[in-house]
Amino acid sequence: MAEHNKDTNNEKLYWKSIEEFQNDGVLDPSHYNEFRPGVKDDFDPSSSLNGISRRKFLTLLSASAALAAAGCTDYRDKGKLMPYNSKPEEITIGVPNHYASTCTGCENQCGILIKTREGRPIKVDGNPEHPISKGKICEKGQGSIMDLYDPSRIKSPLFNRNGIYNEISWIEADKQIIKALSELNGNTAAIISHRVFSPVALRLHSDFADRYPGVKFYYYDLFEGQSRVNAWRKCYGENSTPAIIKWEAADVWVSLEADLFGAEGNPVEQIRAHANRKDVKNAQKMNKLYAVEGRMTTTGMNSDYRLKLNTAKQYDFLMSLISDLSKQGVTSDLFSSVDFSAYDSSKLFENNSKDAKAFKQLVKDLASNRGKSIIYAGETSSEQVHILVNLLNEALGNSALYDTKTENLLSSGSASKSDWESLIKDMKSGKVKVLINYDSNPAYHLTADYGFEDALKNVGLVVSLSTLENESSFRSNYILPINHTFESWGDAQTRSGVKSLIQPVIEPLYNTRQKESILLNWMQDDITKFDAVAYHDYLKNYWLSFYFAGGANPDKWWFAALHDGVIVDTGAPDIKYTFSKDSGKDVKNSAVNSDGFTLLLTHSPTLHDGRFANNGFLQELPNSVSKITWDNYLSVSYNSAKELGIKTGSMVELDVDGRKLNVPVLIQPGMEDKTVSIDLGYGRTKSPVVAQAIGFNTISLMSKEAKISPFVYQNVKITPIPGKYELASSQDHYNYDETLIRDAHLKRHIIKEGTVAGFIANPNFLHEGPKHSQISMYPIFEYKDVKWGMNIDLNKCVGCGQCVVACNVENNIPVVGKDQVATGREMHWLRIDRYYSGTPDEPVTSVQPMMCQHCDKAPCENVCPVVATTHSPDGLNQMVYNRCVGTRYCSNNCPYKVRRFNFYDFRDHFAKGYYYQEPVNYAHNPEVTVRSRGVMEKCTFCVHRIEQARSQAKVQGRPVSGADVKTACQDACPANAITFGDQNNKESEFAKDHEHNLAYFLLEEINVKPNIAYLAKLRNTQPEGA
Amino acid sequence: MSNSFIDYLLRIRIPVIVFVALASFAVTYYVSRAERDGVGYTPDQPINFSHKLHAGDMKIDCQYCHTGVETTRFATIPSTQLCMNCHAVARTDRPDIIRLTEYYNSGKPIPWSRIHRIPDYAYFNHSSHITAGIQCQSCHGDIQNMEKVGQVNPFTMGACLDCHRNPEQKMPYLKQVKQGPDYCWACHR
Repeated sequence: MAEHNKDTNNEKLYWKSIEEFQNDGVLDPSHYNEFRPGVKDDFDPSSSLNGISRRKFLTLLSASAALAAAGCTDYRDKGKLMPYNSKPEEITIGVPNHYASTCTGCENQCGILIKTREGRPIKVDGNPEHPISKGKICEKGQGSIMDLYDPSRIKSPLFNRNGIYNEISWIEADKQIIKALSELNGNTAAIISHRVFSPVALRLHSDFADRYPGVKFYYYDLFEGQSRVNAWRKCYGENSTPAIIKWEAADVWVSLEADLFGAEGNPVEQIRAHANRKDVKNAQKMNKLYAVEGRMTTTGMNSDYRLKLNTAKQYDFLMSLISDLSKQGVTSDLFSSVDFSAYDSSKLFENNSKDAKAFKQLVKDLASNRGKSIIYAGETSSEQVHILVNLLNEALGNSALYDTKTENLLSSGSASKSDWESLIKDMKSGKVKVLINYDSNPAYHLTADYGFEDALKNVGLVVSLSTLENESSFRSNYILPINHTFESWGDAQTRSGVKSLIQPVIEPLYNTRQKESILLNWMQDDITKFDAVAYHDYLKNYWLSFYFAGGANPDKWWFAALHDGVIVDTGAPDIKYTFSKDSGKDVKNSAVNSDGFTLLLTHSPTLHDGRFANNGFLQELPNSVSKITWDNYLSVSYNSAKELGIKTGSMVELDVDGRKLNVPVLIQPGMEDKTVSIDLGYGRTKSPVVAQAIGFNTISLMSKEAKISPFVYQNVKITPIPGKYELASSQDHYNYDETLIRDAHLKRHIIKEGTVAGFIANPNFLHEGPKHSQISMYPIFEYKDVKWGMNIDLNKCVGCGQCVVACNVENNIPVVGKDQVATGREMHWLRIDRYYSGTPDEPVTSVQPMMCQHCDKAPCENVCPVVATTHSPDGLNQMVYNRCVGTRYCSNNCPYKVRRFNFYDFRDHFAKGYYYQEPVNYAHNPEVTVRSRGVMEKCTFCVHRIEQARSQAKVQGRPVSGADVKTACQDACPANAITFGDQNNKESEFAKDHEHNLAYFLLEEINVKPNIAYLAKLRNTQPEGA
Repeated sequence: MSNSFIDYLLRIRIPVIVFVALASFAVTYYVSRAERDGVGYTPDQPINFSHKLHAGDMKIDCQYCHTGVETTRFATIPSTQLCMNCHAVARTDRPDIIRLTEYYNSGKPIPWSRIHRIPDYAYFNHSSHITAGIQCQSCHGDIQNMEKVGQVNPFTMGACLDCHRNPEQKMPYLKQVKQGPDYCWACHR
């Protein structure tokens, strides 16, 4: 094993999976087997056709011929052309419109621009005017287009009669509910909602509670960050909220089990700030990212230093940090308020281990960067840990990085444990007559020990407002279908000074109503007079009365606000954060000292709290660390797995204080021993077909009485059980860096990395050494006008995967399903490769977005027997679907393995044609052909955008330039790591970057002349001994 | 079987059969070519709109109705509302105009029969052709003289490339003309 890590040239040897790492000299069968297990010949003629006799065959043949003849219509008929009766003013056929709105997918409520074509929303981008998201949006926001067009949306109100749902009219449903609400007579009605960030909706809720005495709203979220808020309030006073951190100003970032680039806080903002501090043109100013974590996160993968730490030992870690800092001479009276005498880093990390060295470096960096560093604990950490983090930041002067211009607003807040307990008690006693699940899913999200489902039996009337069937609607008397956000009015405010609006971009597709309109209607005297725009007026009036500064034309102001989608206030007085000196006095470790396993329940960046589980795009987006799709799994360290005798794909039983769940195992390099982690949000039991039987419901492992935090449990028993489980990963096929000859592998240089210090000392370090002499048997083609190319800055890229979703939505890429991913048939044009080097205990991880490199001398073009793939004069490797006959020679000959073959018409094949149904076709980009079975496809560099820019330039009478085109992945990248442009315009910044000192091309030695330049990653690590 | 029979078969019968088959295929291929390409297709329309009257006699500019042709991919069929700009007052007594008004008032679109069509995988762009100075008539024929519109030219890839490669022959009225692109992704994506 050790042989692997040290090759003769003392270079890194990259490995992509534990299996690859482990087998010494013996090749993984997947490397020489052409097909992965499970790939079968689905087109075997002997199986389906041999039952037909010759006579039967002829009968069928003549019958179909007769049918075809009978079905003959006018063969020249080309159908109808239907113009508008009266064309809406803002629509020009063929030209997209963009509307500003707000994404309500999670608590960040980012500003978005929804692109519509002829009235149909087809893509979601960030709103560049929005000061927080700044034109970028995460994978959930981009994927939400699929939720709008989900074929399983509830299409009209339903009434549950003995377990069978019948359609009823809105009036009928409204009448029954209103009757129950008006006859409460001292009893209560509970409305359970996710936390609300809309000031107008909050006012509506209080109006509603006034109208119906006895109504009480309960707000919750699975990830509400309560321990952070509680800790903050203990440190900074009851009215304070956790400060917003000016990430960009921090030179040293310390993430304590916080996946800053995954699901923690606002990843879009954090990735952008990180990328701005990883600018190779300003290498002196690069930040230093420390990740201290028990599991492997996207943040850890991209960190300069990664320290492994059992999640239950965060308290010890911070105390040791204080202890070591004070030994270094850092003094603060805040330190004297905590008793750290018993703590020492030598107890935490083995002497001279990599972690111990990194810890020393961390102490040194924190001491020398006072006021310019930030320590940030994740949402899973305990209140005590958060208090210590606040104390440390304060003592080091890092509170200077707290944003004093804007602060977090908690809006509705959330119901406490005692609120829930008294609600459940009232439900059991029959005092709660009406329970309304207001676009929420408490039956799934509340931990089992509340006994919610049991208590539900004694509630007279249960109503669910939902877009999709879920665990809570399943137990309701009435299900009222609600609008998607794209069909709704609304507003949102998560930070002071930034207000954003939600406007509908499409008429409701079905007989649905906006949830706020439903409440508004119930408040009317005559509920039969439903007015769909009443909430718009309510919203507008509120905004005019609160935010309109006055002027002649309030309507004009309102339309301008809707147009921008966001209103930014400046000039509010500075916010003061006064740390109370005694905050540290009472902190004590909530974790116990134990040798058992620590379980960490984690926040999935794709499914969130499970609400995106029915979204195929998000289910199929590979996890940015493990590359697993369509599942959650228990991540276990290499050594712990050995100890337990389990492998990837084994099943284990988790026992958390008696709560048991069987889950599959993944051996995850970089996990701390004795720490295991698994995502939440999976294992939905009552959901439409996409989420059915996908993953395991880990919420069932949580308890309301959790000691450390709801997400961390100690002394978890892990028992291997018989059975195997297949995890569908997108990583282990396409081993393009693998050859049968091990030594060749060393020389491939697919990932090149350096250090900041090394780069500053010698900027040209990457290109030293012998060069390949490149001769070619083909003549050199001269690209006269533009020549397209791409740069990908690996310093900025964190591998979050948002480009992948953007590409899927833009290019009509189908969802293939878990079984097809398992056989290596996922269709993503853009994938993100992840490489490990080093040992599975302490891996160094590298990521690399990989798509068609549009090689000048593309090997795929030479082998196509039907000339379906050719080269364009502007340097694109063209793929013509109509010519393709599906030989797959091109894919076989592609050195980068980026071509994708339609083994099926995947829309038809996935979940019995789930995405073949109306209205999913509305989501398709009309500028891109929808490919069918039997053709090859691959990244086009968004050629439809290029051609659009070309004709635009032509109309304007000028030549097309590199700045005219932005690809979908480039648009979506929150780090701005991807840039696209014209290589021939030597003056442009793009062309200069393309020939940057750090730029390198993949597999240069095979002389295919790729057109994507990768900028090598520089780690900001201290040279040994310095 | 006698030698002479096989001889006859090989020397006369088979060549004749092959010749007849090939000849009939070739004749059918060329004779039906225009028909297969849709040339001459002149369907009935829900309203007997005359391009000759509007574009020819009254010299209304094409782009008065076909808005967007200069800026977008599509020439666009005008909305009924656009017809009503004039026909709210002009010729309101004619049967076709009465029908038009009925369509307008009902709020339903007029189901025009489609005449020109290229396949969905070809992304033709009107704006880049119009701004290059190419006249509508070069593809759509003498539309200003058509009482009832029919297809005049084949809309095949061959026809596209014919012009793209020899623009000066096909469109002699253009003084400065560059060759059109002939790489795949110019039209197919």
